Amino acid sequence: MQEELITEQVARINIYALISRLLMTEVDESLLKLITEDENIMSFFPNFKKWEKRTKMSPTDLIDKELNVDFTNLFLLHLIPYESFYTREDQKMETGGDNPLQAIYSAFDFEVELDVARVMSGDHIGVELEFMYKLVEAQSKALEAGDNETAADIAGIQYNFLKDHLLEWAPMFLLNVKLEAGTALYFDAAELALEFIMSDFEYLTQLQKSTFVKDVSEESK
Amino acid sequence: MDIKDLNELRSEFENLQKREMQSDCADGSCMTDEPSREDYPDYLAAIFTEIMPPVKSGIYFSRWDLKKMAGEVDESFALDVRERMFQKFMQWVGTPEDMQQVIEQFNNNMNAKCDQYREYSKKYPSTKEIFDKKIEKAESSKKYLDKVYTEFFT
Repeated sequence: MQEELITEQVARINIYALISRLLMTEVDESLLKLITEDENIMSFFPNFKKWEKRTKMSPTDLIDKELNVDFTNLFLLHLIPYESFYTREDQKMETGGDNPLQAIYSAFDFEVELDVARVMSGDHIGVELEFMYKLVEAQSKALEAGDNETAADIAGIQYNFLKDHLLEWAPMFLLNVKLEAGTALYFDAAELALEFIMSDFEYLTQLQKSTFVKDVSEESK
Repeated sequence: MDIKDLNELRSEFENLQKREMQSDCADGSCMTDEPSREDYPDYLAAIFTEIMPPVKSGIYFSRWDLKKMAGEVDESFALDVRERMFQKFMQWVGTPEDMQQVIEQFNNNMNAKCDQYREYSKKYPSTKEIFDKKIEKAESSKKYLDKVYTEFFT
């Protein structure tokens, strides 16, 4: 059971890391290589796999002439990848310190380097996914150390973060990314992110009901 | 003269004003970045405030959505600031029939996205509560659009 749980966390860490990176900044050659040269990763991108331009263009041309142009259109120019836009009645983004996400991040010592990530605020989809990645990583470390109580607590935090934040708005954004993507890579990336956060929520919901969490709460009584 | 005639007269007058403004502004000298809200009837503010925010309608109407919706009624404008694109779409409305077409476009967009929400909540049952709320908001928005039509166009 413990080993199975640890293995599941490794898979979750890898997917959160991948989608967070893809939706945060433009693709570079090393990321493109990682995706195209790993069969397991490539299986998440079925349309990109058979996309004619991918096979005919050089990696540099593919990035410069197709992928980065699409990223700019989708994430910088025409769609809005920030939670506050979807949760505020005035349809504005909260880029200052009043962003409610900031308080959550601070509580968990999660520092967002906006200039490095090249985003306007911490409620960017890529940052929220990276926060989930860090939480799953912490959960995994707790499990490896045999600290199931902490691991169960962190799983609860992930459940709440998905429910109260990512799932509240990211499907609205990602649906539009799917509709408006000009390249197979970003269509697949949006599909992967959408399906993954929903299936992960399903997983966390089941985990809350599982013997793992129940046993931990029994032990702590 | 009944209220319908008055509404038609008002639409004609607004179109005339618009044509006058455009001809006066042929050299671009009167163009500003500021939206001239006083030129808009109240239904514009009503829809922008009650339907366009995703938190109220459960739906994200993007710039591309607006462009596609306008395209369906043979109107065309460039991708621009979202609010300005919405205003341009509304400026196209000249008659009650136009408004019906606009409402139909909003409804089609909401229906398509709600179908997706239903599909997701069926596939991932734990998300049902989240998507049901969005569907409820969209349904309420559709009713609100009907109310706007009745209030301003009949």
